[in-house]
Amino acid sequence: MSRLPGRFHAALGAAVAVLAGMAAAGCAGGDIGANSPGSSGQSFVSHSYESTFYQVGHRPAVPAVAGSTISGRRLSLASYRGDTIVLNFWGSWCAPCRAEAPALGQLARNMASRGVRFVGIDIRDQPDSAQAFMQTFNVGYPSLNDPGDEIALEFHSTVPPAAIPTTLIIDRSGGIAVRIFGASSFSQLQALISKVIGQRA
Amino acid sequence: MTASQEDATTSTAIRGAALGALGWLRWTWRQLTSMRTALILLFLLALASVPGSMLPQEGIDPAAVTQYYQSHPALAPILNRLSLFNVFAAPWFAAIYILLFASLAGCVLPRTVRLVGSARQRPPRAPSNLARLPSSASYTTELTPASAIESAAALLRRRRFRLHTGDGWVSAEKGYLRELGNLLFHIALLVLLFSVGLGGVFGYKANRLLIVGQGFANTPTALDVFRPGRLVGPGNLQPFSINLQNFHAQYVTSGPELDQPLSYNAGLSYQTQPGAPVRHYALRVNHPLVVDGVSVYLIGHGYAPVVRVTDGTGTVRWDGPVPFIPVDQSTMTSEGVVKVPDARPAQLGFAGVFLPSAVDAAGTLESAFPSALNPRLSLIGFSGNLGMNSGEAQSVYQLDTKGLHQLRMAARPLAAGQSMTLPNGLGTVTYLGYQQWISLAITYDPGQMPALISGFAALAGLILSFLVRRRRVFVRAVPAADGRATVTFGGLARSDAAGGFESEFAELAQLLRAEQAGTSGAAPEALAEPDRDSGEAETAGADVDPHEVALTGPDGE
Repeated sequence: MSRLPGRFHAALGAAVAVLAGMAAAGCAGGDIGANSPGSSGQSFVSHSYESTFYQVGHRPAVPAVAGSTISGRRLSLASYRGDTIVLNFWGSWCAPCRAEAPALGQLARNMASRGVRFVGIDIRDQPDSAQAFMQTFNVGYPSLNDPGDEIALEFHSTVPPAAIPTTLIIDRSGGIAVRIFGASSFSQLQALISKVIGQRA
Repeated sequence: MTASQEDATTSTAIRGAALGALGWLRWTWRQLTSMRTALILLFLLALASVPGSMLPQEGIDPAAVTQYYQSHPALAPILNRLSLFNVFAAPWFAAIYILLFASLAGCVLPRTVRLVGSARQRPPRAPSNLARLPSSASYTTELTPASAIESAAALLRRRRFRLHTGDGWVSAEKGYLRELGNLLFHIALLVLLFSVGLGGVFGYKANRLLIVGQGFANTPTALDVFRPGRLVGPGNLQPFSINLQNFHAQYVTSGPELDQPLSYNAGLSYQTQPGAPVRHYALRVNHPLVVDGVSVYLIGHGYAPVVRVTDGTGTVRWDGPVPFIPVDQSTMTSEGVVKVPDARPAQLGFAGVFLPSAVDAAGTLESAFPSALNPRLSLIGFSGNLGMNSGEAQSVYQLDTKGLHQLRMAARPLAAGQSMTLPNGLGTVTYLGYQQWISLAITYDPGQMPALISGFAALAGLILSFLVRRRRVFVRAVPAADGRATVTFGGLARSDAAGGFESEFAELAQLLRAEQAGTSGAAPEALAEPDRDSGEAETAGADVDPHEVALTGPDGE
């Protein structure tokens, strides 16, 4: 039976206006000129080290990744079936990728005899700088070129890379066993790879 | 007596203490949900958004934040600690709006419940003395009290009043639409609050800079800035991809509006998901591309000089466009850096200025127009340690000059195709031309449409509740002499909103009289007197449409 004073309505009306404004603020708009552009080009979604281990039986299947490498050859992950694969999303412009590159290069050499294959996926890069990177860090394994993010998108429904670098360890039967966001150290990565190799998958 | 009194006192004291804690809670809740608190919070919210428009914001323009850091090295870290570069995500901002939400919800929910009750309520019993009401009238009729009430009820029902009848009285109320409007307003307000929350939980915002000829997919690694809602994971992003085919900017070339932008047009091709058909869209300002419920807005543009860097070994280490950030919108003078971390024998870095329409102004070059009429690129070279191999993330728009030294070379603005040789055999740098880039704001807000609709609904409800007034009328009939009945008729408007009740009441009174007393009712006391025949005739025609009666009334005079 309470009578609602007009003041209450006026105030709630104002609240509606503000909230509607907040909701509508989602539509950027405005004048493009006045809106000083920018956005930080290849500033990437940075991430501190974080690893997730998927237990056997709960491993998402790796999508059928294929494409051309930085050096121009065809490469399909399917041809590595039966091996353990370390998949590393990187870019030559990405400082954390540069920091972890020596460890990755060394591990690829050390663990090749244990059936571990390394494959890079080069993101938002440019062929000359990508090649220069591989030369600098003596990276012996191939990298797929992914200029339009098609490969990254293939992981959309499984374990999408959410940071650069992102490293995935794929077990012998093609299940994604480990996801790492951020730069990993030699020992961190070695321990995780060994754990995956040691399991029956 | 004394003992029980003491008992009572103690128990009151104990209960008082218990109520104290509960009462305190209740008091806090009542304060929080009070109108005054809501208004203060609303004001605070507005106040808290002010720095968001005065200081550069990470979410909107990260490059400007970087610039601010450079120009205010002492102040910027302090502002950053106070989240002033990201106001809308700041904990104190969240505190204000969560409190406001709680306050509004706590205020609106109980009101909604009360309104539902009020909207369903039957009118109350008729008061015993109707003459005391703001509007009243009385007359006598030939009818018995019961049939007078019956005919009055029938009339009021035809006028779409809600009725409550009793022995010798009828109460009628109209204007429940006001309560409905109120209810609509309150429910819409709750939906609005909910929708805004929905957007915050399931929505996301992202930015991406895209050079002509390049493409990207809507996946976190491809985004420059990604602000997911609380429950948004990387797998929840709609898997579309966009390619930028071309971009055209037009500017006013003469007159007082010189340099002002006329139009921007970005030719996009896109796919809603991998393998889907490729579609095209001409992206313009405020005409977002909507893919899969996600809006993609054009929010900025700029130039990306194409640079080739050959190192000391003669190997090309960088060959491609580098996005430069405009520092002056009217001339599109832009600044940027080129980093070549894999150059040998030493890492190379360049800080550059791009002038789209270079003119000589008193010995120095500056840009005179935003279009690329006479593009020039001037570069300052650095060598040493770019600081990238340590793994510490850094901006692609800034050179960390800590480990670098500037190369001694003449700063000569390069025209397309011109090269500059670096000293000490470090290599050469060539300016090949330019590309353009656009920046895109990608927003997904599942709450936006519900918020819009509920906003309109709230407004409609508010208007309805302002325009419609609730009013009550009561009729009482008591037996009078010679089998007649004295009918009293009273009414009141229940809201202070717009008047007009008096005339409505007068009209109703006239109708009632006309119907029951059997005459036009111009002079009720006099006309109530006459012969029974006419009164009976009227009773017989009791189902005459009241509007017709109202229309014929004056004619009868």
